[in-house]
Amino acid sequence: MRKSIALVLMLLLALALCPTVLADNSTGGVYQSLSELNGKRIGIQVGTDYELIVWDLLPEAECIFYSSYPDLAAALETNKIDGFPGDEPVLKFMAAEDDKLVVLPDDMNPVEMAYVLPKSTEGDRLREELNTWIRSARASGELDEIAYKWIEGPESEKTVPDYASFPAPNGTLRMLTEGAYTPMNYYRGTELIGFEVDMTARFCEACGYGLIVDAMNFDGIIPAVQAGKADFAAASFVVQPERQEMVNFSEPYLVCGTLMTVLKADESVSEGTSFWKSIGDSIERTFIRENRWQLFLQGILNTLLITVLSMIFGTALGFIVFMLCRNGNRIANTVTGAVTWLIKGMPMVVLLMILYYIVFGSVAITGLMVSVIGFTLTFSAAVFGLLQMGVGAVDKGQYEAAYALGHSSRHTFFRIILPQALPHILPSYKSEVVSLIQATAIVGYIAVQDLTKMGDIVRSRTYEAFFPLIAITIIYFVLEALLGLLIRRINVNINPKRRKRENILKGVKTDD
Amino acid sequence: MIRIEHLKKAYPNVTPLKDVCVEINDGDVISVIGPSGTGKSTLLRCINQMEMPTSGKVWIDDVEITDPNCDINKVRQKMGMVFQSFNLFSHMTVIENIMFSPMTLLGKKKQEAYDDAMRLLRMVGLAEKALNYPDELSGGQKQRIAIARTLAMDPDIILLDEPTSALDPTMVGEVQAVIRDMAQTGKTMMIVTHEMNFARAICNRIFYMDEGGIYEDGPPEQIFDNPMREKTRRFIRRLKVLELEIENRDYDFLGMSGVIEQYCSRNQIPPKTTHRIQLTFEELTQQLLIPVMENPRIHTVIEYSAAEEKTTMTVQYGGLEANITKTGDELSLAVLKSAVSEMTYSRQENTDLPNQIVLSIRE
Repeated sequence: MRKSIALVLMLLLALALCPTVLADNSTGGVYQSLSELNGKRIGIQVGTDYELIVWDLLPEAECIFYSSYPDLAAALETNKIDGFPGDEPVLKFMAAEDDKLVVLPDDMNPVEMAYVLPKSTEGDRLREELNTWIRSARASGELDEIAYKWIEGPESEKTVPDYASFPAPNGTLRMLTEGAYTPMNYYRGTELIGFEVDMTARFCEACGYGLIVDAMNFDGIIPAVQAGKADFAAASFVVQPERQEMVNFSEPYLVCGTLMTVLKADESVSEGTSFWKSIGDSIERTFIRENRWQLFLQGILNTLLITVLSMIFGTALGFIVFMLCRNGNRIANTVTGAVTWLIKGMPMVVLLMILYYIVFGSVAITGLMVSVIGFTLTFSAAVFGLLQMGVGAVDKGQYEAAYALGHSSRHTFFRIILPQALPHILPSYKSEVVSLIQATAIVGYIAVQDLTKMGDIVRSRTYEAFFPLIAITIIYFVLEALLGLLIRRINVNINPKRRKRENILKGVKTDD
Repeated sequence: MIRIEHLKKAYPNVTPLKDVCVEINDGDVISVIGPSGTGKSTLLRCINQMEMPTSGKVWIDDVEITDPNCDINKVRQKMGMVFQSFNLFSHMTVIENIMFSPMTLLGKKKQEAYDDAMRLLRMVGLAEKALNYPDELSGGQKQRIAIARTLAMDPDIILLDEPTSALDPTMVGEVQAVIRDMAQTGKTMMIVTHEMNFARAICNRIFYMDEGGIYEDGPPEQIFDNPMREKTRRFIRRLKVLELEIENRDYDFLGMSGVIEQYCSRNQIPPKTTHRIQLTFEELTQQLLIPVMENPRIHTVIEYSAAEEKTTMTVQYGGLEANITKTGDELSLAVLKSAVSEMTYSRQENTDLPNQIVLSIRE
């Protein structure tokens, strides 16, 4: 049975990998100039305004939205789209890394990139300081020098000042970035680097600030700045009127073109690479190069931390709430009913966002803690429901017998009712834990680098669509199996009927 | 001694106990009998407060256990209860079921609890099942274990709520044997039961419950052989009763005939007897009584004893002394006599309907 399941899994894996391996170039339309793309399908990253530019230049094109560049690259390689636009430096890097892609020379629209700051007096003050520095750095040529180093310079020279150890006489600034946008901001191993990180570090050094840089999902950055979760953000934000309604922009620090990426024409893609060799390459790129396994390890630790803490706190909270509601206290029941209804009915992302930006908006609290709080709430609602179901399933006669013998209500519950309810609850509890692990995959929205977010970061560097996803899936499976095993052990220990019969009368002389 | 004062238990729809006052002496073995829905179980459950009485007091010796300040758990430790559905703790073995409460509530040592439990298991004949789980036992075995569990707390009072009703007929005997032994030990016992012979054999006192209380209270000889009150008699003799009321001259004669027909078929009275009952009723009321009465008011009770297959009809009517059996129309009386084996007239002055005729319907 197990062997056949393993076999099926292997087959699925192989099938999933096939499209990347065999990368068919036969059907893909290949384009030489921008105008050929009119009427074709164009991929757009969510949260950008390329849509407007595409409509302007290619009025008959169809726009399809994706959440990140690795997704866009994957969509292009599998002919879901015919091309996608992007910032010049980023696309050039992508094309250099991924030999199936090529960038068209036509510049669609020059854009200006600038810092994003909150609309507050503190934000205005920082903006003035940033503007002054940007002006002087442009005048002195320092800004060009940094840009050249990151966009065109050799990899070996790309280093960032050690901003963690800056003396901070004027306080420490917290900056947000995406961390998945080579060469603007990206991870090398576990180190967050890039043009914007380097530039900001130099600004802080010059103006006497310390610096902390956090990475989070692109579409979460502006809300986080608005909510005051960070002092400012640099994630290749293009100055545009709609964004200016929400946040302020500094003076632009970089002007670059907008280009279009399409599939390469010739079959220079190395044909004949064997299946196993390409898997080996993928493993090397995803895990070994730049010590990327450390990213995955950190992601696993964060995912496990959130899951296990939420499981422990959620179980405890669910149990406490159940005990409060058990005796039919009307206030407790009404409040619990309302809160449970609210939590269970709300998409988890929305709940996390509300907690992060509204409830704890003005509190200094990390995304990790907010995640634990959010998942504790949902898990406790689940535990509460399970307890209600399990305890409700115990026959009323069991209470009566215990009360009639003179046991107190508390004693009856803990010694008679609960031991009978728990074995019924555990299978569902286990599946709740499994879905908890899966649900944690969205914490990237509030700046937590869990396993899924780390996978996205690595994909943004390797431009491989499937292998990191499958690798992550397998890791999730392993984590689920491990937690499942743990719970099964508990199952053995709490089910009174699985005790060894000789232990029941331990310490009693039975041969009288 | 248990003393119950003006105990009332009311549910939203029904009031099974209206006003119960009784004293139960130490060592009494009492059977509580009566038709279903008359509050037999409710009475038991109010004594150990499994149901909170709506009003009234229950005293055990000098302690009022209905007092909110009374520690009911302590009281219950001295007052065991055996349930119709056994209610053994299904997550514990038989021996643990018996040892659990003495160890946790009375602070007995494990060894002592075990020795006691084994003694009780031997008493109920199930020592070899000590390490089985309840779901591995038959119903009769479960109930015997439940009794042993109750006895392990060494209670002064034992309440048994229909202990054999959920059992296969083949298993009733084994449980009754255990209860019979228990009745010899001098503990105060109350048993709700439908087994009349069993009740008669082991009890020194019977409560017949009806009309929201203890309708008749007496030793088994009185209740079973010579009940003092009407409903007790009907219950003991398993009488099926139909009451008919005629309040004026224009009553629905055909409707009443239909009611009698229904009553007879429901109680499986043979068709011939049914016909005679209808004939008797018709002749007596329609032909003999109503024509001679100025203001007809007739109360008729038909009783059918399933045990003896005998039917009697009692007819009471108002007015001056009027012995229809003597003065009635000859022809009608002849018809009546063909259906009736015995007919007696009596008059009780100072009652609402002073004339009474009792008729025995022929078999």
